[in-house]
Amino acid sequence: MKTPPCLLFATLLFWGWQSGMLLVGALAGLVLEAAWVFKWRWDLEDVDFNRIWSFCFLVLVALSGYIFSTNDEGGGLSGMVHGRTVHNATISSTVTYTTVMRSLPLIFFPFIVAQIYNVRSSVPLTAVSLVLRWRRRRGERSLAGHYLDVSYPYFIVCVFAAGIHPNQATHTYFWGQCVLILWALWMLRARRFGLKHWAIAFAAVVALGFLGQFGISQAERMVQNFNAQWMARLFGPKTDAAQSVTAIGQIGRLKLSPRIVIRLEPRKVGVVPGYLREASYRTYSSRNQTWFAGGSLNDFSSVHQEPDNITWVLLPRADADAVSIACYLNGRSQDGDHEGVLPLPTGCSRLENLPAETSVIALQTNKMGTVLATGSGLMIFDARYGRSATIDSPPDITSTNNDLTVITNEIPALNQVIAEMNLTATNDAENLFAVERFFASKFSYSTWQGPAKRATNASPVTRFLLNSRSGHCEYFATATVLLLRQLGIPARYAVGYSVHETSGSGYVVRERDAHAWCLAWNRATRTWDDFDTTPGSWMAIEGRQSAFADWLSDARSWIGFQIAKLRWRQAHLRQYILWTLSPVLAVLVYYIIFQRRTKARPSKSNAAMEAAVIWPGHDSAFYRLEKRLAAGELPRPPGEPLADWLERALAEPALASLRRPLQELLQLHYRYRFDPNGLNDREQEILVQKVDGVLATLSQK
Amino acid sequence: MTPTDFVAARATYRNISENIAKIMRGQGAATRHLLAALAAGGHVLLEDYPGTGKTTLAKALAKSIDAQFKRLQFTPDLLPSDILGVSIFDQRDQQFHFHEGPVFTNILLADEINRASPRTQSALLEAMGEAQVSVEGERRNLPDLFFVIATENPVEFRGTYPLPEAQMDRFAMQFTLGYVSPAEEVAILTAQAHNHPIDELQPAATLADVLALKRAVENIRISDELKRYAVDLVAATRTATGVQLGASPRASIALMKTAQAEALFDGFDFVTPEQLQKLAVPVIAHRLVLEPQARFSGGSARSVVEGILKKLPVPA
Repeated sequence: MKTPPCLLFATLLFWGWQSGMLLVGALAGLVLEAAWVFKWRWDLEDVDFNRIWSFCFLVLVALSGYIFSTNDEGGGLSGMVHGRTVHNATISSTVTYTTVMRSLPLIFFPFIVAQIYNVRSSVPLTAVSLVLRWRRRRGERSLAGHYLDVSYPYFIVCVFAAGIHPNQATHTYFWGQCVLILWALWMLRARRFGLKHWAIAFAAVVALGFLGQFGISQAERMVQNFNAQWMARLFGPKTDAAQSVTAIGQIGRLKLSPRIVIRLEPRKVGVVPGYLREASYRTYSSRNQTWFAGGSLNDFSSVHQEPDNITWVLLPRADADAVSIACYLNGRSQDGDHEGVLPLPTGCSRLENLPAETSVIALQTNKMGTVLATGSGLMIFDARYGRSATIDSPPDITSTNNDLTVITNEIPALNQVIAEMNLTATNDAENLFAVERFFASKFSYSTWQGPAKRATNASPVTRFLLNSRSGHCEYFATATVLLLRQLGIPARYAVGYSVHETSGSGYVVRERDAHAWCLAWNRATRTWDDFDTTPGSWMAIEGRQSAFADWLSDARSWIGFQIAKLRWRQAHLRQYILWTLSPVLAVLVYYIIFQRRTKARPSKSNAAMEAAVIWPGHDSAFYRLEKRLAAGELPRPPGEPLADWLERALAEPALASLRRPLQELLQLHYRYRFDPNGLNDREQEILVQKVDGVLATLSQK
Repeated sequence: MTPTDFVAARATYRNISENIAKIMRGQGAATRHLLAALAAGGHVLLEDYPGTGKTTLAKALAKSIDAQFKRLQFTPDLLPSDILGVSIFDQRDQQFHFHEGPVFTNILLADEINRASPRTQSALLEAMGEAQVSVEGERRNLPDLFFVIATENPVEFRGTYPLPEAQMDRFAMQFTLGYVSPAEEVAILTAQAHNHPIDELQPAATLADVLALKRAVENIRISDELKRYAVDLVAATRTATGVQLGASPRASIALMKTAQAEALFDGFDFVTPEQLQKLAVPVIAHRLVLEPQARFSGGSARSVVEGILKKLPVPA
């Protein structure tokens, strides 16, 4: 071991402290440092190091696989296929990475122990590199004899592992690793420079390191604070039934990912809902550009499954149209179950083929048409829907914040627009038509919002209506809702997805298809109708952003979807993975341990084939004698010739009297075995008789 | 080959051996190895510290056989022509005449062989390998009995050139003499009080006797199983850890032939596994080239061969 005494102990202790495994770190360190006290050593060969390294590596791979496939924090396989937010898609890799990296010192502990307690305190280079091992196996002799001391690399691994998720508030990690590195480098310093130079250089490096990590964390904080709202939108995954924070008023480009989040399969060809609504909202706050469901209408009430346990009735009627929907639930309930808002077609009356208990634990609805499900991470069900009443409550025009409320500071702009529209119609339908035409002719779709040209106190919606006349769906939906209300038509703000992209026999909905529109109250049919004023070009504009490599992510998403289907239909997947992994690991471990034997087998069988050539004299009677003597305390090592062995045997006082007959027997036996002329029949008989005689004498003794 | 031929051959061996023992006290094993190499038609490299009797042993052997003996002191300025011979222009008959070098002899003592440059050392390659020399485009055969005893000094590095691997491979055996016991050393002092006993040594065998001995050795029987064992021993050196260059088939041949000689000396008409084992180290070890790492960690060619002997199952 080249590292100075106690350095590895201190490093492992530090690692244990930083990663919450103080006891483990201390024990591991003690095991390593005990090598300074105990002088016994193993005599491991290169091939043993190969095996130990392979074992450590396998543990690493298996651990990564296990953690990745089973970590549930919005990650794992479901996280990979969710694709709903950047956060969820990367979290599983992050969790796996951090856990595995933090465990590196433990994973490679057997390897360092093997080196430290080996006679030669270094490991063969071929052990740590599969490429080199392969080249060695191909017969490149030049690679033999290259050895490496891994105690310093192990030290670096420990320091690195301790630095995974350090406590940034106290800087203990930074100063701790500085001390350890100082200690390690002190032993390795070049002696031709004075102590002063060395100290200055080290201090400079520490200062740079401190400033660097301080700077990075500052920059990180700055980016995070740059647009907290926007970040919250991007990283806050789930649709909230109580409120919808819009991107209205934000400057810059709105980006949404092309990941597939919902898959639809129409029960009848071509009949597919245009919108999948997740939630609707009543009250708009221009202060923070947020829509609220508001008041008691947001209170949820449970829906109970029908006796068949797979049907959930939202409205008591039988609709003809049906669509199969697969979506993910990526929120969390208080109990830790998956929870989320179901995207449903307008006028959805019942959910079918949705098993209670295994898929859904609870289903709740509110008066805003939101259906909240708790259960497994993936929901696959059939939704029946029709163009009639919805589960939404009828318009509320009595309370203070009702479906006709318009915030006062938007009223001047709305009135100006109404005047511009020059409305003459008397009924709602014509008014709606006029509004739609007005938006289609005077407004354009854009995900880009520039800063206001001159300083103004006008709200973003006012600016949208009067100045920019360009924006994304949230502008259109918000403005339309307010405009309709100003015109006396009850309206609500709805969020969900637009369905327009086919894929095979079904449809896929991407994250960028997320949409906002408005619900307008139809006094004639007494229903809430979807009313969308966003120019139809928005889909084309969003689609244009689709990257060339989208098909790759689509393929990944499809595979992930199949895996998720498997996963959520199997409640015990985690155990299955463990059970599947263990035999695989066992087989690999077996392979590693017995690799030499299996590799040697072909040559052995070669040898066996040659051994089939039976050498003369194999049936010599002398072997009985040898067996008899070897059965006592005189076993013969494979490399010892019979004559030497016999000499050893005759040193026993009990056999001294048999010296002469035994030596004669050996001569005969040798002639029988190794003289190409061999023994004649008579001599063979003599050999047998003499052996019998000596055996008889031996048994008498 | 009749049994009496074997008896006569054994008598020749005994005579020479006893004759040498008069001079070389306490070196029975070395003498036996030397004679085994002689009888097997191989050459010998003696490596030992100065003053242990390498040259004396060689001279004693040469004196014990009534054969031509030449001694060649290898020096850094020795040239190949100093060994093989050279054509010299004779002014009297206006022609070139070839003057045979010291290599044209029965027993050649190449003293301190590693003091000559590799160029000169290589002059012996053909002679030792094929018992012939090619000089000036003409092939010249060496006598029937051509036996090289080379000595070298292991402690010196200055002014010496290590023997090339090819040259090492030409030697059937390499062994050391070692220091003798104090009692024997006292006897040596006593014997040399007035003059060196080697001066009075008389031949114990004729050239014909030695050639007969060689023929007898060739007729010692060896079973296929033991040939296979010899081959396996040599082959194992090629895959042994720490060995950069294993032994060649020439080593297997030398092992078999010297084992035949050893069997004859032991009074056998056939080879037994003990003889192969006994000669494995002197025959094989000097041909191995160890990896530097193995050398620095204390390994030696001798220990490699001994390890193989222990591990490889011996026919019994």
